Amino acid sequence: MIDETRLIEIKGVSKSFGDTQVLHDVDLYIRKCEFVTLLGPSGCGKTTLLRILGGFEMPTSGEVLFEGKDMTGIPPYKRRINTVFQKYALFNHLNVFDNIAFGLNLKTPEQLGVKTKKEKKAEIERRVTRMLKLVKMEGYEKRSTNALSGGQQQRIAIARALVNEPEVLLLDEPLGALDLKLRKEMQLELKAMQQQLGITFIYVTHDQEEALTMSDTIAVMNGGRIQQIGDPKRIYDEPKNAFVADFIGESNIIDGVMLQDELVEFCGVEFQCVDEGFGAREPVDVVIRPEDIMIVGEDVGMLTGVVESVIFKGVHYEMMIRGNDPDGIRWKVHSTTMQPVGTRVGMTIVPYNIHIMHKARTADAEPVAESRNKEA
Amino acid sequence: MKRSWYASPYALWMLLFAVVPLLFVCWYAFTTPEGAFTLTNFQEFAKPRYAAVILRSLKHALYCTVLCLVIGYPTAYFLAGRGFNHTQSLVVLILLPMWMNLLLRTYAMMTLLDDNGVLNAALQAIGLPKVKVIGTEGAVVMGLVYNYLPFMVLPIYTVLKKMDYSVIEAAEDLGCNPLRVVTRVVIPMSLPGIVSGITMVFMPAVTSFAISTLLSNGKLRLAGDLIDYIFNQSSNPNRWNIGSSFSLMMLVLILISIGFLRKVDPDNEGGGLW
Repeated sequence: MIDETRLIEIKGVSKSFGDTQVLHDVDLYIRKCEFVTLLGPSGCGKTTLLRILGGFEMPTSGEVLFEGKDMTGIPPYKRRINTVFQKYALFNHLNVFDNIAFGLNLKTPEQLGVKTKKEKKAEIERRVTRMLKLVKMEGYEKRSTNALSGGQQQRIAIARALVNEPEVLLLDEPLGALDLKLRKEMQLELKAMQQQLGITFIYVTHDQEEALTMSDTIAVMNGGRIQQIGDPKRIYDEPKNAFVADFIGESNIIDGVMLQDELVEFCGVEFQCVDEGFGAREPVDVVIRPEDIMIVGEDVGMLTGVVESVIFKGVHYEMMIRGNDPDGIRWKVHSTTMQPVGTRVGMTIVPYNIHIMHKARTADAEPVAESRNKEA
Repeated sequence: MKRSWYASPYALWMLLFAVVPLLFVCWYAFTTPEGAFTLTNFQEFAKPRYAAVILRSLKHALYCTVLCLVIGYPTAYFLAGRGFNHTQSLVVLILLPMWMNLLLRTYAMMTLLDDNGVLNAALQAIGLPKVKVIGTEGAVVMGLVYNYLPFMVLPIYTVLKKMDYSVIEAAEDLGCNPLRVVTRVVIPMSLPGIVSGITMVFMPAVTSFAISTLLSNGKLRLAGDLIDYIFNQSSNPNRWNIGSSFSLMMLVLILISIGFLRKVDPDNEGGGLW
C-alpha cells in the first residue's frame, strides 16, 4: 500500500511565537498513502507542525518540501492538502450538501474534468452523493448543520475535506469531542477510508491508543521535538527513552545501573536483559510494562512485595505492589488474577521485557538522535 | 406577594404612557374631529406635498443605510479581527457620540459645517474656496449617517466577533482566496448582523426628527418633522386626526420591518434592539 516515494519532507523546521519556541529543528518525511500520527501531550508542538503543513503558519526556519518542491509561503488555498479541523468548522449558513460541495464549487469545470457549467453541477452532485455514502450520511443533504450531532458533524467535516480528493488529509484531533464508543468506531472507519481512497493521512492526537490503532507510523513529540519515529509495534515494544515509554502505554520506570552487556542491577538485584553497548556502571532508566510483570509465589520471585491496592479495570486488575527493597518502589502490575490487598507476593520479569534506556539529561528530554533514514 | 407584581410599576407606566396614548392615536386616526368614523385622514398623504416628504424620507433613509453599511461593515470587520488589541477602546469611541443628546450632536455638526463654521474657516486658511454644506441634501444624509452609524457597526461587530476563526481557515483550506473568503463565508455568515444593522438604521432614519430640519435650514423636512408640523398647524381643525393617521402609518412600517427581520434572523443572533 505505502509507496516508498517521499511525498512530504520536513527539514529542520523550527517555529517560535514571540519568545516561545514551540518547534525545535524537526525532521520528518511522509510517504505516499502513509498514515502518520503526530502523538504527544498538549503543548508539544504537534498542532503547530500540522498547521505549518496546512499553510496556516510559516516556519521560522527550515523548509517543507512537497514532492521535492519547497512549499513555504504557498497559501492554504493553493495547496493540494485539506484539513479536518478540531471543532469541525462547518459553515452553518449552508446545508449539508453545500458544505461538502463548497470546495468543488470553487473549481472550474475543467478542474473537475468536465466542459460545461451544467456538467459541473452534475459532477458535483455525483461526487457529493458518493462522499455522503462513504461517511454513511445519505439522506442528510438538505439538513442544516446545526441540527446534527457531534459525530454527524464530524463525518460531514471529513466528507467536506475528502471530496476534493486531496493528496494529503490533515486531521487535528478530529475525534476529541466524541464519546468513547463512537470514537472507536470512527477510528476504524477512518483507517478503512484511508486505505480505500489511498490518500496520505497526517493525524494529530494525544491519545496513544488511537495512535496505535490507526497509524502506519507514529512520531512521538515532546517539548517541540520528535522523540521517536517508528511503526506502532516498534514504538510500543522498544521505546527510545523514558518519555516515550511513559507516554505510550503505562510503564514502571526505575533507576538502574548497567553492570555489563546483558546484565542490569536495580532494586539491589541483578537481572538478565538483552541490551548491550552501555558503559560500565552507567546509570540507566529501566522500563518495564505493567503487563510484563508476572506474579508468582513469594519464595520464587526475583523481587518481593506487598499488594497495596487493587483496581478492577475490565480486562485486567491493576495492582500497586510496594517492593521490599530499601527504597520501597511501587510497582504497577496488570494481571488477570486478583491478589487481595496485603498479600505478600513475588514478581518475575523475563529478560526481553526489561528495556534499558539512557538517562535523559533533563526532564524535558534533550534531542534524541532520531532519524527514520537509519531504520528504513 | 407574587413575583410578577414586582413589574407592576412598569406595567402601569406603560399603560398610562404607551398603551393609552396609542389607543388615542388609533382613535384619532380613524375619526373626524366630530368623532365620526372615516378613512379620509389617510387620503391626505396622496397630496403631492405630503407624498414628496414621505418619498424624501425613504430616499434619505436609504442613502443613509447604504452609507452606514459601506462604512460600518469594514469597521466592524476590522474591530472583530484577531491581532487587534485596542478593540474595547475603539468600541467605546464608536459608542461615545451616542452618550450625547441627539440635538446636541446635530447642533455640533451645524457649527462645524456652517457657511462660516469650522470647516470653511479651515478651508479658507489654506486658501481654498468655501463650500456650502448646510442646507443641502448631502448635509442631511451626513447628519443621519453620523447619528445612526453605531447602530450598524455594533450588530455586525457582535456577529463577526462570535464567528469561529477556524471557519475562515476552513474556507482557505478548501480553496478560497482572500476575496472569496469574504464573499463566500464572512458576509453570508454575518447576514443576521447585517439585517439587524439595516433595520436599526433604516427605521429610525425614516422616522428621524429634527436632524434634517436643522441641517437643511428648515428646507428639507422628513417624515418625523412632517408629523411635528401637522400637529402644530393651529389653523387646521383636522390636525390631530391627520397627524395620528400619519404616526400610525409609520408604526405599521416599523412592524413590517420587524417581521422581515425575524424571517432572516429568526434567533435574533444579530442582537438587534427592535
